[in-house]
Amino acid sequence: MIISVASGKGGTGKTSVAVSLARSLEYCQFLDFDVEAPNARFFLKPEIKNEEKVSIKQPYFLQETGADFSRCAEFCHYNAVAYVKNKVVFFPELCHGCGGCLLVGPPESVREKDVLVGKVLKGKSEPGIDFLMGDLIPGSLRTISVQSRLEDYISKREKVIIDCPPGTSCTMVTAVKNSDFCILVTEPTPFGLNDLEISLEVLKNLSIHSAVIINRDGVGDSCVEDYCNKNNVKILEKIPDDIKIAKAYSNGTSIPEIYPEWKKRFLAIIDIIEKDVK
Amino acid sequence: MIVVVSSTGNEITASIDPRFGRCAYYIAYDLEKDTFKAVENTSRNATGGAGIQAAQAVADMDADAVITTNIGPNAFRVLEAAGIKVYSGTTGTVSQAIEDLKKGSLGTAKSPNVGEKFGMGQGPGRGGMN
Repeated sequence: MIISVASGKGGTGKTSVAVSLARSLEYCQFLDFDVEAPNARFFLKPEIKNEEKVSIKQPYFLQETGADFSRCAEFCHYNAVAYVKNKVVFFPELCHGCGGCLLVGPPESVREKDVLVGKVLKGKSEPGIDFLMGDLIPGSLRTISVQSRLEDYISKREKVIIDCPPGTSCTMVTAVKNSDFCILVTEPTPFGLNDLEISLEVLKNLSIHSAVIINRDGVGDSCVEDYCNKNNVKILEKIPDDIKIAKAYSNGTSIPEIYPEWKKRFLAIIDIIEKDVK
Repeated sequence: MIVVVSSTGNEITASIDPRFGRCAYYIAYDLEKDTFKAVENTSRNATGGAGIQAAQAVADMDADAVITTNIGPNAFRVLEAAGIKVYSGTTGTVSQAIEDLKKGSLGTAKSPNVGEKFGMGQGPGRGGMN
């Protein structure tokens, strides 16, 4: 069973909930799909045993052949190639590595090379959490390439927790698309609600079941609860706005580690989801 | 000599469009013949790399110079490779800019004057990937 933890708005408590679920389960697989800013490792403190490089292919142009590269420029959907005055101007940061310019360009004059965009780290967190994370190289825009490599490792046997990146664009979709259920963490404010609504819409389109955890309950107003009640969106749990939780978070400590009674509550959430998925 | 001006409309009386890559029209003005041609900018709605595509289009028009207000780093790199002079920071109407160029009162730019994605949305800081 794969459970993803997402939110539209950033900083609502995705990682906090995801690592609390993993700590409560004790035996599971955990994947940090927020490869632009992975931070779950600070909570689960895994021993990293394996590091795998992620590269993409990018073209280079043998301009000394004097060939005509104009078709490469015409073809590139991302405008990564311009061809002016018989010169190629290449913008690697815009290149998605599709290989199209090799197909349409002059034969033998366009070649490919590997460009490192990030890495996947694998490790173990006590007692039985298989930990995986993607880590994008700063400055690289190839987030999905790193996430796709992570996808290859999603377990089919264990319970799986996926910590998603914020937002509702491609990177979030890639993180949630394999999951059986998605937990949306939100804060009870108009900002939280606005982004929650967009997230629900995305998940509906992907036919992924979802429910809500309200974090920092007590701040803001009742707009999120009212919306959920009105639209039949299940609220799984409300985590209070609590200074001890915040302080623990800033020290890399999850909720069940400071409030042991919350372990039961997080396991109860897993139970509810398991029944829904069945 | 052909000079291309980023324009809000397809007439020479139109105002200069401040965004080079995402302007509405290009007015290609032939200084020898005193004639012009308006070309719609098909790159204006590109999700990314609009400036590059626009610079490519301008180079394909055999332009010798570009007059605009704001020019980003990617478009500038392509125009530079094509040997096209850039007169940035220019405002007002297209016709006035052409007159000023003829009088020699426009200054060329040696570098881009805005950052990437400047022409997306309402100024800097907007836009993004995907």
